[in-house]
Order: sequence, then C-alpha cells, then structure tokens
Amino acid sequence: MRFLWICVVKDLRRWRRDPFTLAIWLAIPLVLAVLMNVVFGGGGNPAPQGVLLIADEDNTFASKVVAGVFHRDPLDKMLALERVQRGEGRRRIDRGEASAFLIIPAGFAQAVNRGAAFRLQLFTNPSQSILPKLIEDTVSITLDMFGTRRAVGPAIGLETTVIPEKKRGKSFAALFFPSMLCMAVWMIANALAGEIWKERALGALRRLAVMPVRMAAFLAGKLVSVALVFACVAGTGLVAVRWLGRVPVASLPAAILWLVLAGVAFYLLLLLVSMSASTPRGASMLGNLVMFPLALVGGCFFPFEIMPAWMASVGRLTPPGWAVTQFSAILDGSTHTPGLAAALGGLVATSAVAFLVTLVRLRRSFLI
Amino acid sequence: MIEVEQLRKEYGDLTAVDGVSFTARPGEIFGLLGPNGAGKTTTIGCISGLLAPTSGRVRVMGHDVVREGMAARQALGVVPQEIALYEELSAVENLKYWGGAQGLRNPLLGERIQKVLELTGLGDRAREPVKRFSGGMKRRLNFACGIVHQPQVLLLDEPTVGVDPQSRMRLLELVRAEAQAGTCVLYTTHYMEEAETLCDRLAIVDHGKVIAAGTLAELRSMLEQRDLLRLSGVFQPAAARAAVAPIDHIEVVQAEENLLVLSLVDASRKLPAIFAALEAAGSEVRGTTLTQPSLESLFIKLTGKELRE
Repeated sequence: MRFLWICVVKDLRRWRRDPFTLAIWLAIPLVLAVLMNVVFGGGGNPAPQGVLLIADEDNTFASKVVAGVFHRDPLDKMLALERVQRGEGRRRIDRGEASAFLIIPAGFAQAVNRGAAFRLQLFTNPSQSILPKLIEDTVSITLDMFGTRRAVGPAIGLETTVIPEKKRGKSFAALFFPSMLCMAVWMIANALAGEIWKERALGALRRLAVMPVRMAAFLAGKLVSVALVFACVAGTGLVAVRWLGRVPVASLPAAILWLVLAGVAFYLLLLLVSMSASTPRGASMLGNLVMFPLALVGGCFFPFEIMPAWMASVGRLTPPGWAVTQFSAILDGSTHTPGLAAALGGLVATSAVAFLVTLVRLRRSFLI
Repeated sequence: MIEVEQLRKEYGDLTAVDGVSFTARPGEIFGLLGPNGAGKTTTIGCISGLLAPTSGRVRVMGHDVVREGMAARQALGVVPQEIALYEELSAVENLKYWGGAQGLRNPLLGERIQKVLELTGLGDRAREPVKRFSGGMKRRLNFACGIVHQPQVLLLDEPTVGVDPQSRMRLLELVRAEAQAGTCVLYTTHYMEEAETLCDRLAIVDHGKVIAAGTLAELRSMLEQRDLLRLSGVFQPAAARAAVAPIDHIEVVQAEENLLVLSLVDASRKLPAIFAALEAAGSEVRGTTLTQPSLESLFIKLTGKELRE
C-alpha cells in the first residue's frame, strides 16, 4: 500500500514537471466549453436549421405532394427532410432529434379521392418554438388545399401532438458536450497509456522488477494517478460548461465519478493495446488505430443523434459509445440510481478484469 | 554472498548462459568479464530474479532467487546498464522513489539520501531535475539509487559505459568503498583495464560460458602468461645472462650493455632474486619497467579472437 502511494506521488510529480502537457489536458474541456459558449451563445440555442421526419406510409402522388412542399424554397433551406419508418421516427422525435415528425398513414390518397375523413399525425418538439409551428401551418395549408378541391364531405385534417416535455430535445451544446468531454478523456487516456513505453525505455520497469515490491501496487498506483488527472479534467470541463455553456448537469458528483471511472477503464484498455505492440512507434500507431475509429463510431467526435441510425446502433456497443450514452444520461438526469449503480458496477468489473490482464502482460513479457 | 551453480538460460534455440558457476563473497568485488553478448547481463538478470533460469540454481545471501524471490531481492541492490532514472524528477526525488521501493522509510530514508548524495558528489545539484545532469552525473545518481538502501549484495552491470574518465574514477572508488564496507559486489564489464584494477576475482565469459576464473594472478598463471621485465643500467651481457639463468622459468629476450630484457612468470615476486643475481655479476640496475600481460591479451589468447565491442 505504501509503495502504491510512492508511485502516485512519483507520477504526479513527473506530470507536474511537464506543464505544457498538463495544460493541454486541462485545456481540452475548457476550450470546448468556451467554443460552445461562443458558437451557441451560451444559452444552448436551437440550431437555425431543423429536421422534419416524415413516415410516408401511403406513398402516393397525394402524399408526395404533402412532403414535396418542404422541398420548395424557402422551406428547403430551413428544414432538412428525412424519410423514416414510423417506429424510428417516433423514437427520434422522443429523443428530441427533430423539429417534428409527420406520419402520412396508408389510405391518404384514397381518402382525398373519396372525400372521406382522414387524419395525418404530426408530433412536434416542444424545445423548438418556430420550426414546429411553421411545419404545422404548412401541412395544414397543404391539406386545406386538398379539402378545398373537395367541396363537399369531411375535411382532411391534421392531428398535432406535442411530445411530453421530459422528452424534449437537447440544445446543440448539450448534445455535443458529452461527446467532446468523453473524447478529451479518451485522448488523454491514450496519451497516458503510451507513457509506459517511456518507463520501459528508461529501464525503470526492469529496475523495479528486481526490487522487493509487487507490480500490482505499481499498476494500481498508476490507476490512482490517472484517476486524479481525469478528476481534474472532468471537474474543470463540467464546471466550465455549466457556467460558460449553460449545459445542464443534473448531478456533478455522479458525472465526475462516471468520467473518472470511464477514463480509468479507457486507460487500462489502451494500456493493454499499447503493451501489445513490440516497439514504442508500433504502440503509438496501434493506440491511434484503436482510439480514433472507436472514438468516431463511439459518439466521441459526433453525437449519436446526428449519426446514421445503423452507425449509432453499432457505436453504442463500443466502450466509448457506452460511456458517452451513460454520461449523457447522467447529465440530463434521465438515469436512475439503480441504473447508474449497475453501470458503475459494470465499469468497475470491466476495469478489474482489464487490470488483471494488464498485470499479467506486464509481468510476463513487457518488463523484459 | 552470491552462489551460482550450473546456471543455464535459453531463448528458444539460443543459449545465452551455458552452465555458469561461481561464488562471490561478502567484501569482495567479483568481476564478470567478457565482450558484449557474452551473457553477462543475462547472468545478472537471472541473479536479480528478472529472468527465470532455464536450469541451475542461484542463491543470494542463502535465498534461492526463484523460490524465495522477495527475500533475495531484499538483499540486492542493482545498478543497471541503462540509466534507469526519471529525468523530470530531481536527484532527491529519484532517490526517494527507489529507496521507497526498497522499503526504506523516513527518517532513515532521508539520512541515506543525504549520505549517498555526499558520496556521489551530487549534493549541490540534488534538487535539480535529472534531465539537466551530465552523463557522468546521471551515472553516479544511477549508482546512488542502487546503494541507497545499503544492500548486502550489489550487482553492477557495466556501470561505466559512456562515462568520462573523471566520473569513471569516481564510480570505481565508490564501488571499492562498498566492497570495503562488506558488500558483496558483482561487477560486469567489457573494459579489461577496469576489471584488472577493480576486481578481487574474475570470471571470463564468452558465448555464455565461463572460460577462466580466479584472481588476476591465478588467471595469468593459469594461462601461462609471462611478464616482461626491462632493466636499464650497465651490464656485461654474457655475465648477466649466466647470472639470471638459474632463476625458474626465465628467458633472456635481449641482453646489451645498457639494456636487459627478461621474460618470466610472476616477475614481481622474483625481482629481489634477479637484482641480487645481477649485482653479484657486477651489473648496475638503474631503471626497471615491469609489463604484465593484460587481461585483454589473455582473452585474445584464450578465445583466439579479438575482444568484440
């Protein structure tokens, strides 16, 4: 236990003597917070362009006329039109990923021709005020056109549902921030993992191996050191974004704890990857090969909300993807204590397994 | 004490150490001498517990390094070939880390740090980051980290590689001081002159095998190396030849009126007899130069090849 703390002090002293690197680590989340403040005006304003999801189940000339209205100037500049299935559209509007979701049920054209009563469904995002109203008015006017042609008979109408407030969409700042902070942690973990090669090249690991100490204490010391770095980075980033970016943080301690544990797990994973290489350069390349694709797919560069659905589904299964998803839930307060406890338990268990595997690798082959 | 019995270490088809045996005693500097790649570092690795021997046995202060690794390591101090220091840390911080790893605690740790800093002459630069040190200073600190805990057994793996002459002299003095304090020192080097001046006993290794072992005198004797004694003065060549002829294993290489060159075994012990015989023959010796065969020449003679760097 004493040697563990000796290792912690040693690593913290070493990093303190390299203020440039330390500043970069701390600057990443700060820069993100400032950028969000500058770009999104601090209030997390909605984006100027909205998304309209359309599930055209009728797929007829009449239904295409309704959808086609939004391809015309100036609506096409204000709204991006996406065709989706009913289920996907509902999920996405519930997550706040669009301004509105329009369902044109099968039988629309027949109803128009027969002059029968028919209802289109529109779900709107309550976090946006202008675009959902614009969409609703545009659809209503278009439907009125159909109704006007049929001078008699029941009107073709629009049934508008505002999705519950709790499922309201996030601001762009809130959407991007979890990804950005997880990316910062992921990148720092990669940089820290590569440091093991410096110690190996120095001969410090071999020297340590002939001393009456346990390598487990050495590795545990490293984990405590990196956990402290992640705590600083997470704390700085979260506080800065809360103040500068005005991104809601439902539970600051839980968010910091999650980022620290996720950072330690990332570190162990990347440490293992780094130690699997045969040279420092190989380790760097291998680390980047693992880090960047996983960061890209795992929602660290772009939030899942703006990814293609298939990529988001795959990405959520990756380690960073899982971390980002849980972190987002912690930030917006949509995770409950049992769920959070289970996630934290999973993270600790994963880290424990990674610790043992890394320790075996360190002892058996990496030291020599 | 270090006891190595039939130590063998294989890496696949390569046998790095092949049946090496020797014993190094407390207060003694035992040298492992050989070219690069001879198996010295692998032997040190097996003794320190870093490498698992393929076969054979190694004991440090009576503890088997495989079965009682922790106990053996507690008795050990290792100064590796590479400068295993954290360059961002100061000399004191490095010593605290390595001393702490050896189990030292304050106030003893603090006292020992002061002591080794004084010994190595680094006291005035103790708080500076090591990256500002010269190569020689780093070597001295590397040594200090190996002795900060006062080990009973000290393993030194080519500790003077790339060191300037002044720092080398200082390091060799430090090694002698450790041995005089009762530490058992195992010193590997490929610098023959270093082994000659420093080591009490030596094992010459090549291709993983000990090809000769003993004191310097024993090695010379074992290899039948002859000293060259050059005497200047006034001689009667024929009388001088006749005067020294009865002395054992002596050969007159050159006999002139002002120079007599003799080749003989263990010349330093025979000097009084030679001087007495020459004086009796009417010769006057004014100058003496004794050239002993170097270990390098012994190695070349023994292996049939030049020392590889």
